[in-house]
Amino acid sequence: MTTVETNEDAALPSRPRSEWSRRWGRFLRNRLAVLGLVIVVVACLAAVTAPWIAPYHYATLGPGDEFLRTGSPGHPMGTDILGRDILSRLLYSLRTALFIAIVAELLSLILSFAVGLLAGYKGGKIDQWLMAGTDVMFAFPGYLFAVLLVAVLGRSTWAVILALTVGSWVGLSRLLRAQILKMKSLEFVEAGRAMGATGWTLVIRYMVPGAMGPVLVSSSFGIPANMLAESGLAILGLGVAPPMPSVGTMINDGYQFVQSYPHLIAWPVAVFVLIMLAFTWVGDGVRDAFDVDES
Amino acid sequence: MFIGRRIARMILCLIAVSLLTWILLQLAPGDFAGIQEVGGGTVGLAQQASAEQQSGLAARYGADIPGWQQYLTFMVGAVTGDMGPSYRYTHMTVEQIIAHAFPISAGLAIGAVVIAVVVAVPLGILAAVRRKSIWDTGTMFVATLGHGLPNYLAGLVLVLIFSSALNLLPPFGWRGPENMILPMIALAVSPIAMLARYVRNSVLENLREEYVVAAKAKGGRFRTIMARHVLRNSMMPLVTVIGPMFAGLATGTIFVESIFGIPGLGRYFTEAAAQRDMPLLMGSTLFFAALLMVMNLLVDLVYALLDPRVRASLNLTASESDVAAKAGITAGPVSRAQTPQSEAAL
Repeated sequence: MTTVETNEDAALPSRPRSEWSRRWGRFLRNRLAVLGLVIVVVACLAAVTAPWIAPYHYATLGPGDEFLRTGSPGHPMGTDILGRDILSRLLYSLRTALFIAIVAELLSLILSFAVGLLAGYKGGKIDQWLMAGTDVMFAFPGYLFAVLLVAVLGRSTWAVILALTVGSWVGLSRLLRAQILKMKSLEFVEAGRAMGATGWTLVIRYMVPGAMGPVLVSSSFGIPANMLAESGLAILGLGVAPPMPSVGTMINDGYQFVQSYPHLIAWPVAVFVLIMLAFTWVGDGVRDAFDVDES
Repeated sequence: MFIGRRIARMILCLIAVSLLTWILLQLAPGDFAGIQEVGGGTVGLAQQASAEQQSGLAARYGADIPGWQQYLTFMVGAVTGDMGPSYRYTHMTVEQIIAHAFPISAGLAIGAVVIAVVVAVPLGILAAVRRKSIWDTGTMFVATLGHGLPNYLAGLVLVLIFSSALNLLPPFGWRGPENMILPMIALAVSPIAMLARYVRNSVLENLREEYVVAAKAKGGRFRTIMARHVLRNSMMPLVTVIGPMFAGLATGTIFVESIFGIPGLGRYFTEAAAQRDMPLLMGSTLFFAALLMVMNLLVDLVYALLDPRVRASLNLTASESDVAAKAGITAGPVSRAQTPQSEAAL
C-alpha cells in the first residue's frame, strides 16, 4: 500500500494549481473584464472615501452659486439648482448606491440560500410550497413589487434595501435549488456520503462549495442590477429620502433643466453608465471564467 | 390537459398576487380619510367634509366595510369588469384608466420590438456570416454595451444627445410623433443587444448543421442555402424571445414613461402606488401580472405549434407518450418528425 502511494506522489509533477487560481488566470486574460474591474475598484474606493475626498458635504448649499457650469473654480463639475457641488453629490451618491446594492445582495443571498437549500435538499411538500411562493413572486412583473413596497413603507434607505432584496431573492433561490438537486447525484457528494457525512453536514460541506460558482456569477450581475434599481426607484420619486443624494434623485431634480443646463444630469449619467458597463464586463469575465470550466 | 393546468395555475397566481398587494396596502399607515389627504384626489372634499359626509365619501368608494369584504368586492368587480372609481381620478373608473393608458404603453413596446427586430436581425445575420470580421466583433461589442444599459439610462443618454446637444427632439411631453421617437429607441436598446447576440448564435448553430453540408454538396449556392434553409430555421426560436420581450417591455416602460412624461399605464401605476390609490393600484397590478402570464402562455403555445417535434409529440395520446417515456424511446417521435423537415430543407 505505502509503495503505491509514494509512486503516485512521485508521478505528480508539482502541486497543481488550484481551481480558483486557474479561473483567476482565465479572468485576467479577458482585457475588457480587467478594465471593468479597475473601474469598479476605483468607483468603490471613491464611494468608500467620499466623506474625505469630496470637496463639500452633499447637503452644503451654495447661495449665489446656483447652476454653475462645469469647470467653474472650486466646482469642477458645476453646481445644481441649490448651488450644491455636483462632484461631491455624485461621490456620495455612489456611496449610497453601493451600500444599498451590497446590503441588498447579501440579504438576498442569505434568503435564497435558506430557501434554495431547504427546497433542494428536503424536497417533497416543503419544496412544493417554497416553489409555489417563488411562482407568485415571479408573477409580479419587473419592478412592480419593489415600487409597491417603497410606496407602502415610505422613502428610506431600508425600505429601498428591502424592496431590492425581495425583488432579487427568487431567481437566486431557484438557481440554488437546481444546483442542489443536480449535485445530489454527483460523485463527490456520493463520496462525502460514503465517508459518513449526513444531513446538513453533507449540504454545507459538500454541496454549498460546489454551488458557489453560479452564485458568484449571479452576484456579479446582481450588485449592478441593484444599483440600477435603486436609482430607478429614485427616478420614480421612490428612492432614499432627501437630502440623501442618489444618482436617480440627481437625475430627477435636474431633468427639467436638461436643455438649458445639461451638466446637471450629464455627469451623473456619464459616470453611472461607465460604472454599469464596467460591471457588465466584469460579470461577463466571471461568467466566462466559470463556464469554460463546466463544459 | 396541459393548457387547462396552466390556466388553473395562472388563476391561482393572480389570486396570490392580488392578496399580496392587498395585504401590503392594508399594512400601509393611514385610514381612508388619511389616504385621501395623501392622495390629493378628493383632498378638498375629505378635509372639509364633516364626519357624516366623510362616511358618505367612504361609502361611495366602498371603503366603509371591513378590509376583507372590500377585497372580495374588488375581486368580484375585477372579474366582472367593474373595479369602481379611482381615488385619485375621481371621474374615471379603473377600467377606463387602463383602457386609456395601456394602449400608450403597448404602443411604445410594439414600436420598440419592431425597431429591435429591424436593427438586430440583419446585424446578427451579418455577424454570423462574416464571423470574426469587424462586423462580428463590432456588433458583439455594441451588444455588450447595450446589454448593460437599461432603458432609462439609454433614454437619458439619448436625451442628452438629441435634446440637449442637437436640439432635435423634445425631452418631455406627449403631443405628437416627435415625442415617441426617443422613448421607443430607449426601450429598444437592450432588446437590440439581446436579439443581435441571439440571432448570431442561432445562425451560427444552424450553419454547422448537417443539412447545410448536404445542401452544399448538392451544389446549392451560399445565398440560396442561407435564404431557404438557415434563416428559416434560425428565425423560429425568435418567437420565444420576442413574446416575453414584448410583455417585459409593456410592463417595463414605467421608468421611461416617468422620465419622458408619457401618460402610459406604468406612470399611472407609479402614481397610484405613491398615493395609495387602492383600486387603481390593484387594477393595474393585476392587469400587468395577467398580461405577463398570458404572454408567456401564448409563447409556449406558439412555440409548440411551430416546432414539428413538439407538434408530433402532442399528437401522441397521453398513454402512448407515457409508454414511450417508460420504455425510454422518447427519441422515436422526435426523429420521425425531423425527417420530413430535413427532407423539405433539402
